[in-house]
Amino acid sequence: MSTTLFRTIQPNQFTLLGTALFRRRRRSNFSVRCCGTQTTTTHEAKQPSQSRIAPKNHGSNKLDEILRDYEAVIGIETHVQLSTFTKAFCSCPNNYGSHPNTSICPVCMGLPGALPVLNSKVVEFGVRLGLALNCDLSLKSKFDRKQYFYPDLPKGYQISQFDIPIASGGYVDVDIPLEFGGGHRRFGITRVHMEEDAGKLLHSDTGDYSQVDLNRAGVPLLEIVSEPDMRSGIEAAEYASEMQRIVRYLGVSNGNMQEGSLRCDVNISIRPIGQAEFGTKVEIKNLNAFSAISRAIDFEISRQALLYNQGQADQIVSETRLWEEGAQKSVTMRKKEGLADYRYFPEPDLPEVILTQDYVDSIRSSLPELPEAKRRRYEAMGLGMQDVLFLANDVSVAEFFDAVIGKGAEVKLAANWIMSDIAAYLKNEDLSINDVKLTPQELAELIAAIKDGTISGKIGKQILFELLAKGGTVQGMIKAKDLVQITDPAEIEKMVLKVVSENPKQLEQYRNGRTKLEGYFAGQVMKMSKGKANPGLLNKILLEKLNAKD
Amino acid sequence: MATRALLAVISSSPNRCFISTRRIKNQASSAFSTSPSLHFQIQSRKTHRIAPSFSSDTNSSALQPPDVSRLAETARISLTPAEIEECGPKIRQVIDWFGQLQKVDVNSVEPAIRAEMEGGNLREDAPETFENRDGIRDSIPSFEGTYLKVPKVLNKE
Ligand SMILES: [Zn+2]
Repeated sequence: MSTTLFRTIQPNQFTLLGTALFRRRRRSNFSVRCCGTQTTTTHEAKQPSQSRIAPKNHGSNKLDEILRDYEAVIGIETHVQLSTFTKAFCSCPNNYGSHPNTSICPVCMGLPGALPVLNSKVVEFGVRLGLALNCDLSLKSKFDRKQYFYPDLPKGYQISQFDIPIASGGYVDVDIPLEFGGGHRRFGITRVHMEEDAGKLLHSDTGDYSQVDLNRAGVPLLEIVSEPDMRSGIEAAEYASEMQRIVRYLGVSNGNMQEGSLRCDVNISIRPIGQAEFGTKVEIKNLNAFSAISRAIDFEISRQALLYNQGQADQIVSETRLWEEGAQKSVTMRKKEGLADYRYFPEPDLPEVILTQDYVDSIRSSLPELPEAKRRRYEAMGLGMQDVLFLANDVSVAEFFDAVIGKGAEVKLAANWIMSDIAAYLKNEDLSINDVKLTPQELAELIAAIKDGTISGKIGKQILFELLAKGGTVQGMIKAKDLVQITDPAEIEKMVLKVVSENPKQLEQYRNGRTKLEGYFAGQVMKMSKGKANPGLLNKILLEKLNAKD
Repeated sequence: MATRALLAVISSSPNRCFISTRRIKNQASSAFSTSPSLHFQIQSRKTHRIAPSFSSDTNSSALQPPDVSRLAETARISLTPAEIEECGPKIRQVIDWFGQLQKVDVNSVEPAIRAEMEGGNLREDAPETFENRDGIRDSIPSFEGTYLKVPKVLNKE
């Protein structure tokens, strides 16, 4: 398994070869795993000539050269859909995938006279996320109306927080995976605010109409606005994936990008290195995978750098672009002509949101260990960065690992079992670690039984797969199946002698120099012992007998 | 600031030049008085006392006259020249009233971020299905199958 940018226990991965257009600096290729359908994409052949912004005479070296002169400035707005039972301002159920237009009421339909009442969970989740992102909380914040007219917004305005968000001025720490140069980065968080989602629009391909499902209208969101602190697609993708980890660790959202529970809009500009002022900002939307964030940004950096380089910087305009995953490029969605006038004003139907210090403190003390703290703790335990990133990536995996070492298992061994055989099993069976019957207790037992020589590593693997699929205990299985390792040299010697005597032809070949046949003999003895022979003893005794001058 | 807020109120009410929020509420409570599930939300509230939300820029007592055409445009309503003519002075009156308010010396008053209301009225996160959903759907003129049908609009802003 290649090392990946997005370590996840989810199955499926695809490898993406960096193209000339997307290649930046030292990076020549990268592989990304994301939870989606399995795709293997190679863009090498079709990319550069197809792209309208990469003239044919630009070799990749030329592009690399151009890119060296520019710096990208990237900020991200992340919308997190909260996993509350009800909507933000009414008691309609908040269920993804309900029959269209069934989770509606006068409040979320914007009928006259219906008044919003804030869901207490939304405040709680806002505080949790704000604290997790190291923000200052506003003990008094308020809601505002943001006016815009679109069919997915029945009221004609969105209830949001404008000038006084619930949280602001924080930061988040991420570890860049080794294959992308490694290192630790801190990105600023400008603000976190509470707001409501709009409905969902389905555009018909044929007709001149769209269909609206208002189940999502009024569903609570937290919007996280980052400082423009990121400089590459990789950094941005790592930031976004840290947001996903954090909301999942906190339990405020399922963070599912495909379902739209975690949506990232990227703002990006480039400037010649050394220039203080920012370039023209372009927004990219429709990024529903971390890999898409990374590639859309690298595409945009290249596009803008080439325009600069060709003296066409004036063609970089303030606009919103849509990432097209199929074509691996972005296209203009709309130009921004003047700033949109949302005519914010204080929401007259909602009181201010007041937090007491006691309330904030009680939430602070109930926060789980967050991904960054976990990574630092795993690092301090002596695990390598690759192990650290893998284990801390998925909160369920991390909890499982913590429970296993809590039962006294050796750290490195526990990490190895989880990252190799267990991860492979989960991938093959398309399961999450919470779905398997193996308990942390039994994995710890298994590791101990192998370590103290009760069973061989090979038997250990057999037991592991039984435990994963059927449950049970290590001790029970060892007894029931008589799996205790044979460590009696006399018993092993008996089996070795038998195998040697039964294979005279191979013995002769071995003694004539085909020493590779040792493996054959070892295999035969192991087979005879039903995998129970201690491998060290077996090899030692076998070599003695094979090399004996009788 | 208060003026801006007012303008937004005005322009967000598409059907008339000017509606007070009080009138919206009154209409509303009669329209939904038969719906028990709404009662918990229609609460009596203290009269809103508007305090300056932000550091007040009191030097703007000379307020700009309203650009009614632009207001209408941002609220996506069409007004005839006659209606613009008619609305202009009314809106002007309201703005002048805010101009008077802005003259009040509030330097000694602690800024409130919101008009004062009974705070702490948060809701439990317990789902409740609104009974008369059919009524809502039936009242949508373009409801087809399970969806609302609207003209195709791709360019969201
Ligand atoms: Zn509702």
